[in-house]
Amino acid sequence: MTHTRAATRTVSRFAALTAVLAAGVSLYALPAAAQGEIRVAWYGGNWGEAFRTCVAEPFTKATGVRVVPEIGTSTATFAKLQQQKDAPTLDVAYMDGGISEMAQAAGVLEAIDPTGVPNLAKALPEAIYKADGSIFAVGSGYYSLGLTYNTKEIKTPPTSWNDLWKPEFADTVTIPSPANSSGVPFVMFLNRMWGNPPGDLSKTFEKLKTLKTALYFDSSGAASNAYQSGEAIIGAHFNVGAWDLADKGLPIGFAVPKEGVWATDARLHLVKNAPHKADAQRFIDTALTPEASACLAEKLYLGPAVQNVSVSPDVERKLPWGVGGSVKNLQLFNWADINRDRAAITDAWNRELARQ
Amino acid sequence: MSAAMNRALPLLAAPVAFFAAFFAVPMIVVVSSSLMAGGVPSLGNYARVLFDQYHWDVLAATFRIAGLTTVACALLGYPLAYYLVRVVKSRALRRTCVILLVLPLFTSNIVRSFGWMVLLGRNGLVNDALVGVGILDRPMRFLGTELGIVIGLVYILLPFIVLAVGNALAAVDPALEDASSDLGATPFDTFRTVTFPLCLPGLMSGIVMVFTLAVSAYVTPALLSGGKITVFPMLIFQQYSTVFDVNYGGALSMTLLVMTLVLVGLAGWIGNAGASATGRKAQ
Repeated sequence: MTHTRAATRTVSRFAALTAVLAAGVSLYALPAAAQGEIRVAWYGGNWGEAFRTCVAEPFTKATGVRVVPEIGTSTATFAKLQQQKDAPTLDVAYMDGGISEMAQAAGVLEAIDPTGVPNLAKALPEAIYKADGSIFAVGSGYYSLGLTYNTKEIKTPPTSWNDLWKPEFADTVTIPSPANSSGVPFVMFLNRMWGNPPGDLSKTFEKLKTLKTALYFDSSGAASNAYQSGEAIIGAHFNVGAWDLADKGLPIGFAVPKEGVWATDARLHLVKNAPHKADAQRFIDTALTPEASACLAEKLYLGPAVQNVSVSPDVERKLPWGVGGSVKNLQLFNWADINRDRAAITDAWNRELARQ
Repeated sequence: MSAAMNRALPLLAAPVAFFAAFFAVPMIVVVSSSLMAGGVPSLGNYARVLFDQYHWDVLAATFRIAGLTTVACALLGYPLAYYLVRVVKSRALRRTCVILLVLPLFTSNIVRSFGWMVLLGRNGLVNDALVGVGILDRPMRFLGTELGIVIGLVYILLPFIVLAVGNALAAVDPALEDASSDLGATPFDTFRTVTFPLCLPGLMSGIVMVFTLAVSAYVTPALLSGGKITVFPMLIFQQYSTVFDVNYGGALSMTLLVMTLVLVGLAGWIGNAGASATGRKAQ
């Protein structure tokens, strides 16, 4: 009796196990046989979520090709591309301006061919990045580093970067450190704004030394944290992060001052020797539709890099160029210049500012 | 002998392979990159690090912060370990205390350091309390000071010293202390001449652990310094992740490693000399 019961139990267990295994195998085998997949490197957090909703899901719906995300910062993605140079597993990579140029120089990118990506014709001319006559990257949306302030403590919106030096803001200011991707270009932006010669940053550092900061932020998260806790009440922050705080109900405002804002973009890249090149091109093509751009503008307040994108007025005022602006209002530096001076500016910053 | 060796070798293979893959190879990569400059072998990176007063200043700040952290951890951790091992009689209570002690280790350093940023901020709980009670007139600056970094590091590293000292204390045979009391020593004398020297190795291992972790800490100093104080790991991180100069970064890494080993070696040597001197006196 007990023996039979045990035997039945074993048999039924075995059957259940087989069923589970079979289901697992079929689940795994089915999509692989019926449809392909591509691997796309993008960022974590709400950025990755937005890329999934705005680009990957419409792409999969249209083509049946699954998108497997590889989450990492631009720097991590660039490192991965270098490691897998000989046998890449990634097909498409999102990387920020700056890292994009480094990846191009490292030879890990494939030229994006307009015949394979017809929507390139819709992209803004500024958003197409060429080297040696071929396109190595295409912009996927702009974001800027603007004046961010606590609307509870500061009633009249600041209009100039020089307002940061006002005595009433002493010890409550935050600006990016060189550990942040915007840190080095922000120093160059200020240098240009004050009319100092491009090759000589000494006057700019002199002025920066007199800025009474609460902290220099090294990540966008640290900046958000500082504004949220009231540690900083004015300073620089990305439009994406600042409006995210405001949307959560915090008293945070974002202004495009009269001197303009430094800006950069998240870019799409086709990986050299990508295992699924045709699908990768279609993915990039999907990302360059006005629908995908409008969706990213709504989710992240990324300024569209393609023409004829319409968004709601509330989203429009939160875009990197502010109300009534366009990509023309952004100060887009040549990343080759920034990368060339990066080591020297980081070193000068360490010696001048990062020691109490 | 050789049969035993034959049996031992396959057992050793796994840890040796692990060690080679995750320690030796990366280390060799860092060392060899640090000895290259502009594509040719060179000691230039080391010259750049060592012949620059700035790096010595940063190194001094790094060791100062790590040293203060270690002293604070030892002063707080030793009595805590003593309390847990000797005073708490209930097993359940002791287990609960150990779990409470170890629990924060399951949370990421980043999250815990962000927590301290909130607590130590201008409008944070600590300043609110100090001003509220009347100890301070206006909020004190913790973020962006060495004190703030030390507070964050002590919080994160305290469990290591408590566990090391606790283990050593638990291994001390109470009969030895009883014997000391029987022979007329006061409790303080017993502690000073019997208990403390016996758990000194545990304390030393805890100190070495805390010091090396504090020297190499990146996340906590980076967040709590607010970018206003630079410690050596921040310089290394900059070179590897934003400037992309792996050769200079490698030289910085090796400099920190060698300097730390020298200091730890010195501390060990002093500790041994002290222990043998005490041992001789006792004889």
